[in-house]
Amino acid sequence: MAVHEPEARQSYLVFACGSSWYAVPAESAAEVVTFPELTRVPGAPAHLLGVFAHRGEVIPVVDMGLLVAGVSQSSRRAVLVRLPRGTLGLTASTVAGVSPVTGALEPLGSAGVLVHLRGPAKSGPRDVAVIDPEGLFDHLSQGA
Amino acid sequence: MAPASPVRGMLFCHAGPHRLAFAAHEVLAISSPGEEADAASARLAFQAPAGAMRVLVAASGGGVGVDTLEIDAESHPVLPAPCVTVHASGGSLRGFVLARGVLWPLLGLADFERFLRGLRPGAA
Repeated sequence: MAVHEPEARQSYLVFACGSSWYAVPAESAAEVVTFPELTRVPGAPAHLLGVFAHRGEVIPVVDMGLLVAGVSQSSRRAVLVRLPRGTLGLTASTVAGVSPVTGALEPLGSAGVLVHLRGPAKSGPRDVAVIDPEGLFDHLSQGA
Repeated sequence: MAPASPVRGMLFCHAGPHRLAFAAHEVLAISSPGEEADAASARLAFQAPAGAMRVLVAASGGGVGVDTLEIDAESHPVLPAPCVTVHASGGSLRGFVLARGVLWPLLGLADFERFLRGLRPGAA
């Protein structure tokens, strides 16, 4: 099986949600914000915490702890991931900054959100799950 | 993303602490739970026990129960719903109204009533 390595020149924004570390391609990471009170979306799954207005756009905020591990991680900060189809806020308890990632980019699972998290990879000494932004958008847009 | 299009005539409601908005032209009548015993409580969409103080009756005949409501004649911009939210309410989410400094989910009343009906205990 071919093992895909992260491109050496690609940089990632590395952040934590609880005890888990994630990396998102830097070109997709628009900014880190402290979000205001969220508006809940009726019928939304628990990991979709709500939405807020930011620069004229409605930004949905996803609790990465709930989405990935089923454990809520209270945080008022979010990494905004911007794609042509919209922007997504991912809760972040700590933001380490932009750095390279080494290791593999294989899906961490065969079902659910783990299909869109890649690894095993490292950023410095930290084990990180590399987020595939397009795949994560697809996963969440299907009502997951 | 499509530009915001304003909507005039809204009902701003709460289900528990949660905000909801409906276009006034979709509301046939405002009734009481006693008169509309079969109404679907909007609280169910927030995983809360059913309950309501007022009922919004749709042209389809179905009713949605809410805790508070306020009629607003002003024109408000409607922002498009992000793609990750469009399926959440059974396809009834039309967008978000920015009013009074906060966002209100704008729902199609008849579609939201059908969605709530499916959340009732024992619903198929």
